[in-house]
Amino acid sequence: MTLAGWAVRRLLLALPVVLAITTLTFALIHLAPGDPVYLLAGDGGSPAYYADMRVKFGLDRPIGEQFLRYAAAAATGDFGYSFTYQSPVTRVIAQHAPASILLGFAALILSIAGGVALAFVVTLWPSRVLETSIRVVSAAMYSAPVFWTGQILIIVVAVKLGFLPVGGMTTARETLAGAGLGLDVLKHLILPAVTLALPFMAVVARVTRASLRDAVREPFVQAAKARGLSHRQVVIRQAAPHAAVALTTLVGQHAPQIVAGAAITEYLFAWPGIGAVILHASLHRDYPLVTSSFLIISTAVVCSNALSDAVCAWLDPRIRLS
Amino acid sequence: MRPPAVLIVCLLAASSLQACGRENAYSTSSSTLVVAINSDPGALNPAVTTSGGTHPVTDQMFNGLVGLDENLNPVPELAESWTTEDEGRTYRFVLRRGVTWHDGTPFTSADVKFTFEQALLKYHSRTRAALEPLVLGIDTPDDHTVVFRLKHQYSALLQRLDVVEASIIPEHRFAGQDLMKTPGPPQPIGTGPFRFVSYAPGDKVVLERNREYFRPGLPGVDRLIFRILPEPGTAIAALERGEIDYAGSVAGPDIGRLRATAGIAVVPGTGGSGGSVCQDVLIPNTTKAPFNDIRVRRAFAHAIDRQVIVDRVYFGQGRPATGPISHLLAWAYTSDVRQYPHDTAVAGRLLDEAGLRAGASGERLAVTFTHAQTQQRLAMALRDQLKAAGITLNLRTMDFNSQVDQVFVKKTFDLGMASFCNGADPEIGVRRVYVSSNIGPFPFSNGAGYRNPRIDALFDQGAASADRAQRRLAYVEIQQILAEEVPYFWLIDSEGLRAYRTAFTGFRLWTGAFAETVRKVQ
Repeated sequence: MTLAGWAVRRLLLALPVVLAITTLTFALIHLAPGDPVYLLAGDGGSPAYYADMRVKFGLDRPIGEQFLRYAAAAATGDFGYSFTYQSPVTRVIAQHAPASILLGFAALILSIAGGVALAFVVTLWPSRVLETSIRVVSAAMYSAPVFWTGQILIIVVAVKLGFLPVGGMTTARETLAGAGLGLDVLKHLILPAVTLALPFMAVVARVTRASLRDAVREPFVQAAKARGLSHRQVVIRQAAPHAAVALTTLVGQHAPQIVAGAAITEYLFAWPGIGAVILHASLHRDYPLVTSSFLIISTAVVCSNALSDAVCAWLDPRIRLS
Repeated sequence: MRPPAVLIVCLLAASSLQACGRENAYSTSSSTLVVAINSDPGALNPAVTTSGGTHPVTDQMFNGLVGLDENLNPVPELAESWTTEDEGRTYRFVLRRGVTWHDGTPFTSADVKFTFEQALLKYHSRTRAALEPLVLGIDTPDDHTVVFRLKHQYSALLQRLDVVEASIIPEHRFAGQDLMKTPGPPQPIGTGPFRFVSYAPGDKVVLERNREYFRPGLPGVDRLIFRILPEPGTAIAALERGEIDYAGSVAGPDIGRLRATAGIAVVPGTGGSGGSVCQDVLIPNTTKAPFNDIRVRRAFAHAIDRQVIVDRVYFGQGRPATGPISHLLAWAYTSDVRQYPHDTAVAGRLLDEAGLRAGASGERLAVTFTHAQTQQRLAMALRDQLKAAGITLNLRTMDFNSQVDQVFVKKTFDLGMASFCNGADPEIGVRRVYVSSNIGPFPFSNGAGYRNPRIDALFDQGAASADRAQRRLAYVEIQQILAEEVPYFWLIDSEGLRAYRTAFTGFRLWTGAFAETVRKVQ
């Protein structure tokens, strides 16, 4: 099958998935108790006022009609008007997505680099003590909730040691530009990126370690060893490409989660990303913002999965795109 | 790379970061005040929203016709003076001359008329609810006079005209727009002490001193920056590290540590953009058993140890409440009401009288407490206290909006809870909780479903007179009747703590416009 044909097929398969997720999100957020009109309109209002606001934002219509109106508008690129941000949803997402993408990629790179490094250290210098200690550390990294890790990092690194800022994306007091701004953002990025990276770093370490170990036991690697390659050469030249396939699949599956699933980390560090927006929007029953965010994220997940399949096929000739 | 080299690089990187970090964190030499807010401020149009996210920012950029002094009495702001005519049915405001919008356009009476007619009386929920049925018309005989014609005398009108309840917006920027559905001008302009510079969503809002401000010498700082910090703990950490200078709330566990930190002051505040003079109140559903029985309500009032709750749950941020009006509204408040000292024996006797005798397990009755996650500490304290009186409190925890929905809208609850703000006048925030006309499926109404024609009449009496001594008589009687009948369990007159770096002084902690008089300590 050609790449183009495969891509079209994946796209067609993706449509029902995205549609199902959007429908489910729309239904769930509307079923959650709590009427957005009170948040939209403020407290202490008169019944007539709340009725006016329901009409104004189409909340007086039956839920089925609301969904059809939403879907019809979304198909034309109009994702609605956010109640809480008093702004078109597309604008809210566009304003907050770059920060999420920056944080997500930083965390992704950190977790891949850290996880792969750990796996290679254990494989290249096999030792029971090292193996056990890395196993324990990665279990801790994986199981510690980001809220806890983040708070510990804030208290120790930011408040006690004063190494890095507590929160936000830039220093509030200063108006910086150019390289100064870049460095400032970098400083603000480190703690949330580390917090977000740790759990996935543990996963990367375990998966990479396992696939390296499996690869080392494969007959073709044993054969290479028999021909006189050192353990280090075998690991780097023969086993590493084998592990790359597993890693690519893993990253493809998890990358959108890291970019979009950073809500708690963003909230904690006041990082102006889309995760914190979705959290805020869900708590405030901002129907259009919540539904549209999930629509966009689910599309990103589907695309990312497809991309990782394509990369896997390119890395491993045994995998066919079909 | 060998391990030592890696280590050296890491240490170098860390030390350089530390150097930059320290330098940035404490460079407060320019007079820039950084304030924490907990959410994005949205469209920065204060006349169409009561949002606690929008107002802390806009209250520094806009003005009301009147301001509020420390005792919440009206003082001149955009209106220089006012007179009443026709037995209090007409208010004539003389506007301050020479006031300009931040873009240089002169401020006139047309702006006031536009703001009320097109924004406040349509979209500002509280102002519309209170004034729309009251205002017959707004006239502008000249550029500097505004006349409000009312249906009847209304004692709390002036207290409703401050920047929180009635910010004046520029007609020339908003005329002809759908104010609820347009994000507003990219550069919001007001008449207030600070003008808009920039807004980075999710990160910060930057304002600067309005050099043309009509109050000479104010504001006292050059720049005012709002840092968006949704997590309260992070805001306090940022204060400790010097990234921000002012936090509008302090969580209980942080109080001791902040008080012990040099350079940080922790002080009680009574008001702000979200409402002033608030009370945390338990809401029994008086429309059904067991709370339709006054003996059960009195038993609960005796079984709850409010002092312990104030100390342990609220970390001393307030004092035990005695009735529906906070002691902070001193002119209307009375402590001469029926008291409910903590006494489980009395509570037990009252429950016996109500026929709720202790079973073999010691349980007399069980009720469900519907509360938000943020009130879990209170819920657990109440559960323990009520247990001693044979009352089982089942806890039903949910997110804030679900709780509001269950208690106020769907009314599927036994015991609920809310923070009710009295506002600058009992007419503003007390009335709505107790009058029978405000029983309805909407938030922060008379959630207990309490009806008493005498109370309804007394609130009308309190609103109809301009004389405070006269009005006090009505409010004292209201407090006495309500304390007898306990349709609500008043827990605490809140005095939430604010924390700020002592490099600054002059915060106005009773009003939304807190930043105007702040200045750097020399």
